[in-house]
Amino acid sequence: MSEVFSILEYAFFRNALAAALLTSILSAMVGTYIVSRKIVFISGGITHASFGGIGMAYYFGLNPLLGAAVFAILSATGIEWVSQKGKVREDSAIAILWSLGMALGIIFVFMTPGYTPNLMSFLFGSILSVGKTELYLLLAFSVVVALFFRLYLRPVVYSAFDPEFSKIMGLPVGFFRYTMSVIIALAIVISIRSVGIILVLSLFTIPQITAMLFTRNFANIIPLSALWGVTGSLAGLFVSYFFNIPSGAAIIFFLTLQFFVVKAIVVLLEKIRRRAD
Amino acid sequence: MNKPLLKLKDVTTGYFSETVLRNVNLDVFPNDFVGVIGPNGGGKTTMVKAILGILPLFKGSITFPLGKPRMGYLPQVSSIDKSFPITVKDLIGQGLKSKSVLMPRLNREQKDRVYQLMAEAGLNKFAQKPIGELSGGQLQKALLSRAIINEPQLLILDEPNTFVDKGFEKELYQWLQFLNKKMAILLVSHDIGTISPIVKTIACVNGDLHYHPSNQLTEEILKVYNCPVDIIAHGPVPHRVLKEHNL
Repeated sequence: MSEVFSILEYAFFRNALAAALLTSILSAMVGTYIVSRKIVFISGGITHASFGGIGMAYYFGLNPLLGAAVFAILSATGIEWVSQKGKVREDSAIAILWSLGMALGIIFVFMTPGYTPNLMSFLFGSILSVGKTELYLLLAFSVVVALFFRLYLRPVVYSAFDPEFSKIMGLPVGFFRYTMSVIIALAIVISIRSVGIILVLSLFTIPQITAMLFTRNFANIIPLSALWGVTGSLAGLFVSYFFNIPSGAAIIFFLTLQFFVVKAIVVLLEKIRRRAD
Repeated sequence: MNKPLLKLKDVTTGYFSETVLRNVNLDVFPNDFVGVIGPNGGGKTTMVKAILGILPLFKGSITFPLGKPRMGYLPQVSSIDKSFPITVKDLIGQGLKSKSVLMPRLNREQKDRVYQLMAEAGLNKFAQKPIGELSGGQLQKALLSRAIINEPQLLILDEPNTFVDKGFEKELYQWLQFLNKKMAILLVSHDIGTISPIVKTIACVNGDLHYHPSNQLTEEILKVYNCPVDIIAHGPVPHRVLKEHNL
């Protein structure tokens, strides 16, 4: 136990802890929108498309996160545009973006001379090496999204739930849907450092489906999935440190484990209650 | 002569390059109750969307000679995502405009109005429940409450009688006849048999539109209008008066 507390003396671990907490809160807000609108697959496309940006940034010697952000925003708004126009099959458009992004990423990484040191951390996440700058970026973005949700939850939910009716009511549906696309893209890119491209989407979905075992009200799903996200991420973070496994894998493993345990308890309680009736 | 509330003049519209409606003319006056009938794919919903201003016109015009009315809209229930995590209270509240664009919240008065409508529709105990837990009839009541909460002058309903039982249907029609005292209603339905007794006039949409200034439909009229619908006569034993015929 003392070992657990002693690692808190390390700055890198405190950074990782803060990153896990903030990422959980950010993905609770954004993930609730993703799960409610059933755009998990779209978000998967955005995530993998961003790898193209990472590869390109490596090749040109730029910041990989910047490359990822540009690719993610372009693909997110592109998919939203395609889905609003409805001329192309949305799932085909996503599949193309998904594979094109990955292909571009691999090609550029391969063409980059020398060793690409952080590549693994983008694929699998390395929360233990999160720096101060990234942490401040994460904090600033989380605050911005929280404020946006605090002020505009009503139109955000309505333009997701029934865009046609919202348009008739005079809501700027396009504005809210595009803004949410950009927020999703940036949230994904910022969270990639913690859990990696391959697993980042689980952070935006598993706490939400765990929360939805208890509530089906958009506004209540957010704090509850933040709670489940925090507990799962912290468990994963400690295990990742003590057993020296990639943070992404450890966090997602615990989030999933937590879902099944909670689900089992809920089902069991329901059975007991029914028997009592 | 009175001015109409809504005037469609030579309206031609559709999706992308596909024309669905051709040269449609229709006047709707305050306190009208128009039953819009016609076959599937005939353009009933397309016309509704054009009137609501969410579908651009290829040709013609839609005007409101008495000034732009407040409009209430009940979409086809199949367009509603029942698994979306939204409560009945919030669904009904969608029909209200917030006073401020920058701080889009409902005020006290508007929140009270939501509860008042839920009480009238008998949905009080579902206020905090997700819409996925409602029955077909209850969902239609909630959608109708959302449509009328803004006290519209023109109420447009797209197939409000799908997935509901006969008991609810009767209740719905009584409700609509009550609402008709305060607003004009455009009721879209593929089921002419059950709506013809409650509407005042009938418009048949099948690519174009034919207006019939009464609610009595005869086989003769339907033949002229080229409108393949079934009529179930009301009597001790329901029987089919008109068979579906070819275009």
